[in-house]
Amino acid sequence: MAENSDFESLVANYYAPLYQFAFSMTRDEADACDLTQQTFCIWANKGHQLRDRSKVKTWLFTTLHREFLSIRRKQSRASHIELGQASAELPVVMPSSVNQLDVREVMAALERLDETFQAPVALFYLQDCSYQEIAEILDVPLGTVKSRLVRGLNRLHEMLTNPILPKS
Amino acid sequence: MNQAEARSILQLYRPGTDNANDPQIAEALALARQDPELARWLEAHRTRQLALRDTFRQIPVPPGLKEQIGSEQAAFQRAKVIKRRFAVFAAAVSVLILLLEIPWQRSSPPEDTLEVFQHSMMGVALRGYGIDLTTNDLPQIRSFLAKKLAPADFQLSDALQRANINGCAVETWQNAKVSMVCFHTPQTADRNNLWLFVVDQGAVKTGNLTSSPTVQTIHRLITATWIKDGKLYLLGGEGNEADLRPYL
Repeated sequence: MAENSDFESLVANYYAPLYQFAFSMTRDEADACDLTQQTFCIWANKGHQLRDRSKVKTWLFTTLHREFLSIRRKQSRASHIELGQASAELPVVMPSSVNQLDVREVMAALERLDETFQAPVALFYLQDCSYQEIAEILDVPLGTVKSRLVRGLNRLHEMLTNPILPKS
Repeated sequence: MNQAEARSILQLYRPGTDNANDPQIAEALALARQDPELARWLEAHRTRQLALRDTFRQIPVPPGLKEQIGSEQAAFQRAKVIKRRFAVFAAAVSVLILLLEIPWQRSSPPEDTLEVFQHSMMGVALRGYGIDLTTNDLPQIRSFLAKKLAPADFQLSDALQRANINGCAVETWQNAKVSMVCFHTPQTADRNNLWLFVVDQGAVKTGNLTSSPTVQTIHRLITATWIKDGKLYLLGGEGNEADLRPYL
């Protein structure tokens, strides 16, 4: 019973940010739902192996990211949208309106970022993850995370202010 | 630290987090408080960051996802319980089979008993067999059997010595060699075969068997079994006891 209650509490705390992180990477509602569910399924199966309970958040995001990479590798279906096609779909965001964004605009810009920048940027904004946590989740060194973030954030901002920029 | 360095450092600054505790960021923030241009840039950057953070956090989560995860978990738990129950059931069945098998094994006769030997040899006689040596010469038969390490120094009753010998074969039973001697008897055409099986007595649990022949029907054949000088004799043939008795 306590186990169920722990699980429910965990779901209540993390299902939304996990979904949002998944959606940031997949830009697909069904895929993001699957990834989120799969993450909790893995937790139900293997979560007891985590000794340091303070690492639950990192564990969940790490697991979701690994699942995403695994599925991506299997499907080998990275979307290759030509710039011409993409720019037609993208909204024009003037520099003055960067502060008034909507999800669709940001996701469209995020999609145009190099894949290596997408996950760190999403984690940066979504959960206020520390750089160390982001490094653990993505399994890359701290310095690499900071470097990717600086480049990713700058690029995202450029994309939002000038949506006809080429895909990075 | 100059303005450019401060901007570079503050690019990763997230308002409202403990980033401000970082010494480098704290220094850059302090510089921004003294540098109006850097302060303006920082304010714009802060606004942008907050807007982006809010936007990311506004990614709509499908209604019902939480419940769906809960029901998936419940189904997973049910499957786990069923799997565990099945494992317990399978283990119980295994134990039950084991328990049933032990008494069965205990009640089933050991394979080296006289009864099994008799049935096995009469089965050989009835199912058909290959004659290893076709001859009516008894010394030749004894010699052949001796070479095959099968019992050769068996004793024959007077009647059997007078009977027409067809030949012999060597059978194996429980790793022991069994000599099989085939006779033709001057009876009716459909009941004129006699088979004598001889094996070392030690190869068979003979129980209360004595040198006095025990007559019984096995596999519709009339048989006589006895022991003599460390050997077990089994004589079988078609017909009835009256047909067999003269050869004992």
